[in-house]
Parts: sequence; C-alpha cells; structure tokens
Amino acid sequence: MTSTRTPAAPGPTASDERDRQQRRVGFSQKLGRWDVKLSPYLYISPFFILFVVVGLFPLLYTGVVSVHQWDLLKGKGDFVGFENFSTVLQAPIFWKSVRNTISIFLLSSIPQVILALVIAALLDANLRAKTFWRMGVLVPYVVAPVAVSLIFGQMFADQSGIINQILRNLGFTGIGWHSEVLPSHIAIASMVNFRWTGYNTLIFLAAMQAIPRDLYEAALIDGANRVRQFFSITIPMLRPTIIFVIITSTIGGLQIFDEPRMFDQFGRGGADQQYLTVTNYIYQLGWTNKNFGRAAAVAWLLFLLILAISVVNYLITRRIASEGGAKQKKRKKVSA
Amino acid sequence: MRKTTRKFLAVTAGVASIALLASACSSDSGDGDKPSGSSSASAPSDEKVTLKVATFNEFGYADLYEEYMKLHPNVTIVNDKADTSDNARAAVQNSIATNTVVDDIVAADSDWMPELIASSDFFADLGSDTVKDRWPAWKSQLSTTADGKLIGYGTDSGPEAVCYRKDLFKKAGLPTDRAEVSKLLEGSWDNYFTQGQKFMDAKTGAAWFDSIGALSQGMINQLEAPFEDPSTDEITVLGADSKAKPVYDLLTSDKVLGQSAHLGQWSQDWTDAFKGDKWATMLCPPWMTQIIAGNAPDQTEWDVADALPGGASNWGGSFLLVPEGGKNVEAAKQLADWLTDPKQAAAVFVKYGNFPSQTAATTDPSVTGKTDAYFGGAPTGQIFSNRFAPIEKQPYRGSHYFPINQALSDAYTRVDVDKTDDSASSWKKFEQAVKDLS
Repeated sequence: MTSTRTPAAPGPTASDERDRQQRRVGFSQKLGRWDVKLSPYLYISPFFILFVVVGLFPLLYTGVVSVHQWDLLKGKGDFVGFENFSTVLQAPIFWKSVRNTISIFLLSSIPQVILALVIAALLDANLRAKTFWRMGVLVPYVVAPVAVSLIFGQMFADQSGIINQILRNLGFTGIGWHSEVLPSHIAIASMVNFRWTGYNTLIFLAAMQAIPRDLYEAALIDGANRVRQFFSITIPMLRPTIIFVIITSTIGGLQIFDEPRMFDQFGRGGADQQYLTVTNYIYQLGWTNKNFGRAAAVAWLLFLLILAISVVNYLITRRIASEGGAKQKKRKKVSA
Repeated sequence: MRKTTRKFLAVTAGVASIALLASACSSDSGDGDKPSGSSSASAPSDEKVTLKVATFNEFGYADLYEEYMKLHPNVTIVNDKADTSDNARAAVQNSIATNTVVDDIVAADSDWMPELIASSDFFADLGSDTVKDRWPAWKSQLSTTADGKLIGYGTDSGPEAVCYRKDLFKKAGLPTDRAEVSKLLEGSWDNYFTQGQKFMDAKTGAAWFDSIGALSQGMINQLEAPFEDPSTDEITVLGADSKAKPVYDLLTSDKVLGQSAHLGQWSQDWTDAFKGDKWATMLCPPWMTQIIAGNAPDQTEWDVADALPGGASNWGGSFLLVPEGGKNVEAAKQLADWLTDPKQAAAVFVKYGNFPSQTAATTDPSVTGKTDAYFGGAPTGQIFSNRFAPIEKQPYRGSHYFPINQALSDAYTRVDVDKTDDSASSWKKFEQAVKDLS
C-alpha cells in the first residue's frame, strides 16, 4: 500500500491516458494490493523457478528413470518397479562404494576441520607478513582438483612413488597406496585435505577476528594461558562457523568424485573397488554399463544417505547450538 | 500509481524472460529430432562448409587437413580433439542418447563399435564402390551392421608383434638377432612361457613380460567369441564352456605369474618402469612402439620380433563415422573417404607411425620401406605388414564386450598387481561383476 501513496514520477504520457487512469482508480488500487502481496514472491521466484528446472525436475525424473529399464542409448524400456533398487542393494559393489565413501569422508573431514582450526588460530596471532601467510594457505585451493590428483597419484605410486621411496629409505616396507583399502582411502583423503584445509582455515580466521578482543584481555587478567583461551573462548565463539564448515564438508565429502576418479589411469576405483565411491559407481553404471535405470537407483540411494547424515548433523547441530547459547550466557555473566 | 504498474510490468517481464530461458533449455532436446529430417540436403561442392572432426589421442591428420582445405577451398576443417579416449567415447554416447549432432565426423575405437552398431540408425551409410575392397573383411566387418550397412571407415590397425630387450636376452643366454628371436617366439603360448621359464631361470633380475593383463589382451583377441555368443549376443563367459576361462587359468597359474613384472599396464608404476630393466618382452602393436619410445627415450636395446605366439592378431584400431543428422553429411563423407584413402593412410604411417588398415596401404613401398632407428633400425613397416597379412578374424564383440573386458582386466589386476586375491577368488568377483551387468 505504501507504494501507491508515493507520488508518481512525471513521465511523457498523453493527457488522455492520465484521464483514463484516474477513472480506473479501483483497478490500480487492486494492482497495488497485488503488488504488496505478490512482489516478494516474484522477486525470489527466479531462484525457485531455476531450482524447479535444474534441481527438482531432474530429482523427480531420476526417480522415474530408477523404476524403469533404461539404456543409455536405447532409452526407456519396461517398467520394473523397485527391481533396480533391490539388485543394487544386493550387489556387493554398492556396499563397498558406500563403505569407501563414508571412510574417505571421515578421513578427510575430521582432520580437515581440526587442522583448519589450528592453522587459523596460528594465523590469528600477531605474525609478520600476515597477508602473505593468509594467502599462502589458500594457494592449494586454486590448484585444479584434477592436477592435484595427477600429482598425488604420482607421489603415491606403489613402486616408483616418492612417498614409498622415502619409507623404504627409512627402513620401512612400502605401502600399497593403490592396492590396499585403507591406505588408498588415506591417500585420497590427503588430496581432499590438501585442497580444502586452506579454504576452511580462512573461514575460521574470519570468524576468529570477529571475536571481541576484550574477552581475551579478561581471560588474560584471569590468568588463562593461550591453550586455555583457545578452548574456552575461541572454540565456543566459533560454534556457528564450525557447524557451517562441517555441513559444507559433509555435502562435499559424500559427493567426492574427481579425486578417486583421477587416482589411477582407469578411474574405476581400483581393481577390487578399493576406492570406488558412490558417485564413481553411478558414473560407471550409467556410462560404462549404460544402465541408466540402475544408476538412477543408486543416485536416489545416495540422496537418501545424504539426507540421513544431514538429519544426524542437524540433531547434533541443535545440541551444540543450544549448549553454545548456554555457555555464552554464562560467559556474559562472567565478563559483566 | 504508474510506478506500480511499471514495476508490475517489469516483474512480469522478468518472469517471462525466465520462462523463455527455461523453454529455451527444453527446446534444445527438441532440436535433436530435427537434424535427422534435414539430412538428405547435400552440399554443392562450391558452397562454404565447416566440418568438425572429433578425434582423440593422435590420428596424425594435421597435415592432411591443410592439404584437403587447399584442394577444397570452400571447406574449413575444425579438429575437435577429446582429452582421453574414454571421454571421446562418452561424447559419442551422449550425442546418440540425446540425438544431437555436434561433430560432422566422429572417430571411434574398435572397442566401441559394437555399441555404435547397436545404434546404427544414428550414422550415415558410408558404403560405396570406391571403398568396397579398401579394407580386409575382418576390419570392415567391425563397422558393418547385420544387414550390410557400412557405418565406419577404418583408419589404423594394430597387427601385434613382440618387442624385446636385446641386452636382457643376451644376459639370459637367449639369441638377440631379430630373425632368431622371431623364430624362438613364433608358435604356441606354451612355447612363449617355456622360453620365459628359461629366461627366468637365468636370474637376470628382470621379468619376462610386464603384466598378465597385457598378455590377456593379445590372447583374447585370438579367440572367436571370448565373452558372448555371436548368434544370440548372450553372455557365455561364465558358462561351463567359457572360452576366456582357460586363458584366465593359464595366465593366473603359478608358472606364468612367476614370469610377470606385476606392473599394471598404463599405471604410473608401469610408465616409470620403462626407464629400468623390469621386463624383457611385451606385446607390441605398432602404436605400442610409439609408447615404448616415448616412455624410455634413452633406451637403445629395444627391438621388434616378427612373431606373435598363438597366431597373427590385431589389437586396437579406429574408425571414422559420419552422423546421419549432421548439416553437411555429403561433404563429411567426402572428407572421411579422402582421409582414409590408402594414399593418405600411408602418409600418416610414415610421419606418425599409425599403421594403416587399408590393404593396399600395408603393401605400399613407402610403408614397407620404413625403418625405426629407435628399435635398432628394425624394418617396422615390413614387420607389421607381415603381421597384418595373415590376420583373418577379429573376436566377436557383443553389446557387453566393453564392461566384461574391463571386469576381466580388474580380475587380472587383483591377482597380478595388487595381489589381494588368488586366482579362484578373483574369478568369483569377476563372475559377480558380470552377473551385475544383466
């Protein structure tokens, strides 16, 4: 309504048109009401329309594909109900890919968040050439993931790789970075960590700089050392940021694709599917085996897996958030 | 008031433009149906046309493009090269699946031909009198449908020989002369592994061959129907009379495994190992000679023997296909025809080493006269020509060939390279992988 009361901007309109508009006061009032009611939705609609086109529609269509026999080249076949799902759930390869995905996700996300926190705390201290160090941690993020994979793939080569050569020189036996399950997960997780730790560090650093300095001064007067300050002030104050970082790295970690695909020359996750992730498995089903129906079924199962983990995340998040709130109140009392 | 109206209009316009955008996206897939209708429009010879040629790896066509554009000033050729052959395969499949034509000429590896034959409607019929006897039957069969439609012109081929290291042979007390080694290795696979045992007993520190997966490629290519029944396309590899299982059992036997360098072909370790003395022999189609020379440029002891255990066989080779729905089908056909002409194919071999598949080209003096300084001046042209002539067949490759072959190669890697499974347990996993296909 407010907008209808603002005077109209003078414009080059014919006088007869002005007459017509005055006669149509009722209509323009109606327009005004629509404006107030509809405009907000229209303004945010581009996102939702795009979301429906590129997000919701593919999601639902994947559901349709997953209940059919569907060949990449021949297209839609017979309706088969949930047969694709039951075949996939009985296939040992699927469970291997789930195991690998969760293992690589845990091996990458946990050290990543801890490392990023520590590095951010170091960068938050008074350093010489601050900007240099801060930009330095972001450099790995700029490197293309495929390039990272190629370099790490050479470093982790089972026989000629530099890491195994160092291990052998130190008197250890070489580790089967490609052939064994856990070592291959560690190698792939190290690529992910290399790329993303710096990025998360900068997010933490930005949040740390927003912590009021008087909290640290008060703690200093109370006699708290640096470590105590880190755990009692920095970490609690960073909780919302930590939650954000954990959620983004969960989504990224469960969809990991480039690194395992580029880890060897075939990109099929190893001869024994040691490091085949769910997304790699989808690609393999769809493009190598040309079985879109089954690939769609796995895509839906991955969606459900991410949903389940997100719910767990959400529950933990709520607990941390409420705890954080309680502690913040306490701290306020102390500092007051 | 007018402001409100204007704002409302602006918003409506915004919504409309988004809707337009959305419909523009969806009309893309509609476009796909169009080309197949407008295909028959043949370009007159003086009309300006741009032809996009999709290739991968190195087809050796750069000079030929220049020459063709000089001969046909109205034609502009754009090379659309994929980074890996796997991505090239995915691109071809995508364009078939969405029925859109991106390139006027598409290159395809012989391993993908069964899939492309299954969608032969997408490609133009390339048959004509000039190309009728250009290739031996086993080559043109790969690109001919059941009802006789030729959808691809053969480019190169891969007649296999054996590459060997003279210095390692000498160390083990085996002959090093090319003719003698050829005689030594000619014959059955059993003979090859017997010679291998002699080599291993001499304890040179090197292995006899790089990996059993590489040998399997050669041995599978000598079978008539390794994985599937040619008449029904049913998977037979798991059955009691499986043709591939005896090959698998031989290769994963202790005797043969003991002669392996356990280096998976194409892996980083394999590539790096060329610099050392890791193995003495390897199966060697013409394109492999380029890979050996590229991986070990300083090694002077490699040579090529004019022999292949188990009989002459082909490994690899490609085709040029013309999608039916392209804008310039006739012009594209002309170009593909010209590029795969024996004369041009011989020129590609002389400069790039891609051995031709055109019968006339394989006996062309410029081809047979070629020697390779890297392989001790070996007459590679003549050797591969000798290896090419006796090839009579290619194995039947049904619609599951590609994934089964990958699963089999994984099975070999588990036993030979990763050593995570023994022969029996690895075959069980292979069985599971094949069952998952159907």
